[in-house]
Amino acid sequence: MRTTMTIAAALLVPVAIQGQSWKTVTMSRQLQDNDEVRVSVDYGSGDFSVRSVDEGVLYRMNLRYDEDRFEPVADYSGRRLRLGVDAIGRNITVGRSRSGAMELELARGVPLDLDLNFGAVRADIDLGGLSLTGLSLSTGASESTIDVSEPNPLEMETAHVEAGATQFSMMGLGNLNADRIEIDAGVGEITLGLDGRWRRDSRLVIDVGVGSLELRVPEGLGIQLRKNSFLTALDSEGLVKRGDVYESPDFQDADRRVIIDLDAAFGRVSVVWTRAEHGKP
Amino acid sequence: MALGVVALALPGSAEAQLRDIVAKSVSASSSGASLELGFRDDATLRVRFDDGDVILDGNVIGSYRTGDELDRAWRALLGEAMALEDGALAERLVDWSAPSSLSGGLADAARELDDAFERALRETQAPAEAETRDVDASSQNGHSLARLLVGAIGRLGALDEALSGLDEDFRIHVDEDVTVGRDEVVDASIVVIEGTLTVEGGITGDVVVVGGALDVREDGYIEGEARIADARVLRDNGEIRGGIVDVLDDERDFQDDLRDRLRDEIREELRSNLRSELREAARLEDGDSYSIMAPLRPVIRGVGGVFEKLVLVFILGLLGAGFFAFAGENVDAIAETARRTPARAAMVGFAGSFLLIPVWLLGAIVLAVSIIGIPVAIAWLPLFPLAAILAALLGYIAVARVAGEWLADSGYPWTGWIRKSNPIVTLVGGLLGLLMAFIASHVISIAPFLGLLSGLLFALGVIVTIIAAEVGFGAVLLTRAGRRPEYPGGFDADAAWEAAMNIDVEEGLDAKHDREDQT
Repeated sequence: MRTTMTIAAALLVPVAIQGQSWKTVTMSRQLQDNDEVRVSVDYGSGDFSVRSVDEGVLYRMNLRYDEDRFEPVADYSGRRLRLGVDAIGRNITVGRSRSGAMELELARGVPLDLDLNFGAVRADIDLGGLSLTGLSLSTGASESTIDVSEPNPLEMETAHVEAGATQFSMMGLGNLNADRIEIDAGVGEITLGLDGRWRRDSRLVIDVGVGSLELRVPEGLGIQLRKNSFLTALDSEGLVKRGDVYESPDFQDADRRVIIDLDAAFGRVSVVWTRAEHGKP
Repeated sequence: MALGVVALALPGSAEAQLRDIVAKSVSASSSGASLELGFRDDATLRVRFDDGDVILDGNVIGSYRTGDELDRAWRALLGEAMALEDGALAERLVDWSAPSSLSGGLADAARELDDAFERALRETQAPAEAETRDVDASSQNGHSLARLLVGAIGRLGALDEALSGLDEDFRIHVDEDVTVGRDEVVDASIVVIEGTLTVEGGITGDVVVVGGALDVREDGYIEGEARIADARVLRDNGEIRGGIVDVLDDERDFQDDLRDRLRDEIREELRSNLRSELREAARLEDGDSYSIMAPLRPVIRGVGGVFEKLVLVFILGLLGAGFFAFAGENVDAIAETARRTPARAAMVGFAGSFLLIPVWLLGAIVLAVSIIGIPVAIAWLPLFPLAAILAALLGYIAVARVAGEWLADSGYPWTGWIRKSNPIVTLVGGLLGLLMAFIASHVISIAPFLGLLSGLLFALGVIVTIIAAEVGFGAVLLTRAGRRPEYPGGFDADAAWEAAMNIDVEEGLDAKHDREDQT
């Protein structure tokens, strides 16, 4: 929304941004059919948001960028959509600069194989409402908040998330409708919410390097934690140790069960029980 | 024979007034504002206000000044265009007209823009001949018709497969979306080609979907089978009691098998090539083939090893010269500690070496658990090992200097050239001494039948190097990199005089004072 307002302001008050090389652009493409589209988004630095939209467009992208250093990318061909910004030349900026922004809206109801790559950004992503057949999300040194606020109507085989040095939060994992969710985190604070509507039993594979991991588990969801860790403290409140694994007390009788394979190197892992917010677990 | 109701919604629509806009880009900056439209037939319309020029599809059609009436009108139009899509956008652009207050060149440019929008957006499409119509047909005719239709869209094989064995009562929908409402129950089978079948109510027969989607909503059900060919299934708690049959499974399996076979063949080919390469490399390394250089290989290897160690001495000597020049007192303090308490320094060095990795990792953890510490952790990860390597080098060089001084005093043959007055020469002498076992090992390896002795000397060299490095590293830790000397170092004039003249200066002075007192 902030980018939209900036564009409107730039259109109406051209003199106000005189002397700066910032450019704002809004791009969109009409929805022509409901066939699957493979979407690839690359964004380097700034504010980054993703939402679903239900207004007959395949995508709508609002960008604010430095036109001396970047150029927008919106390429659609052969059921492949590539969005984001590309650097012009090999400029390297030393010191702080004003950050750009990218707001992306993607069509509801269109099957999307989504590939998001972003670097040093402040990301606010809501995948709720999107029909995802695949998800690959990769982030660098960022502060990322990802929510799957509504169930994904399509079944997904694997959702893969890779986070570097980051403060990373991903909620509504159950709404992804994925057989397998892979989280590969490097260094930082990771928060994973296992809320949402789990359609079937799933597997969550977490590989954490150094840092803290908090698993927020809604009451009623059966979880089994298989831990393979080194110098990692586990706060397993509410879990029962059976052999080599930790289970929720009602794991065997739970309607939906999630098996968590946790591989952690150094840090702290805690399990926090919550009330379900995104529908039944 | 029962009749099937065939509802055909063939592609085509009523005559369009305005062209479809399928893509839109609106941009604005201090230097200009632009609009780019893309149409269904891949045609485009580009209008740019850029640095005073009004540019239509690459041609300059007029000029403006930032903030003038035309610029303001254009930016206002783009402000609206940003929020509009497709039909609404086309209508707004066609409705746009030049502000009446414009005059001269601005008015001409605005009129040309207005005309350009009219031309680009009012192009009408030829009316389609086909239209929606209902056709009654027997099931047999339905098959034939379906085959005809499907052949036209390249899905004959898929539909033929999907229709085999289907009940005789069914409805076909081509290229249209179909919804079975919440309170509706269809007492037949449904075939949907290139469309979405949404089931909120019930279907008592089978369902065939080719090239579209089947969406079974909550409380929706299908009594029979859902046969899918190149289509998606969305099931939001709906029921498909007869199960889902993907008629293209066999084809896909065949393609998967073919792909796997190809992959295996390529992998085997790569393995074979790799094995050949490795065999060839090993053959060359071992010298299986006859070469005129073969008898000289031990000599080359031995001389190469000696040369390598001499280069190492040279590099460490340069590094030592740098340390002496910029941190001479630190090196003195470290060397003094290594000389006086080598065993203690070695123990501290070994302990420090074992603790290096845990300290490194724990430091990273402590820093990484907070957001503020993360940037420091990023610096910590590479800088800590670098500092450890630097400390080990500094310590090794200090120990080499001590070794050089010892060699200078030893009176061994070929050590006369080592002069303690020149620290660089002393260091080089010490380095050669510490690496002597390696050098001897390389020299001996040239001679035949002395491999065992060469190996023993090499092992001795490794042991000497480890001990020297640990003593040096320990001395660095004990003296905090030479900043906290454990023993007074540096040049002591009295001590030097006493050593040279073999007298006690203090004792001599006391005796002189006594004599003066007596007189």
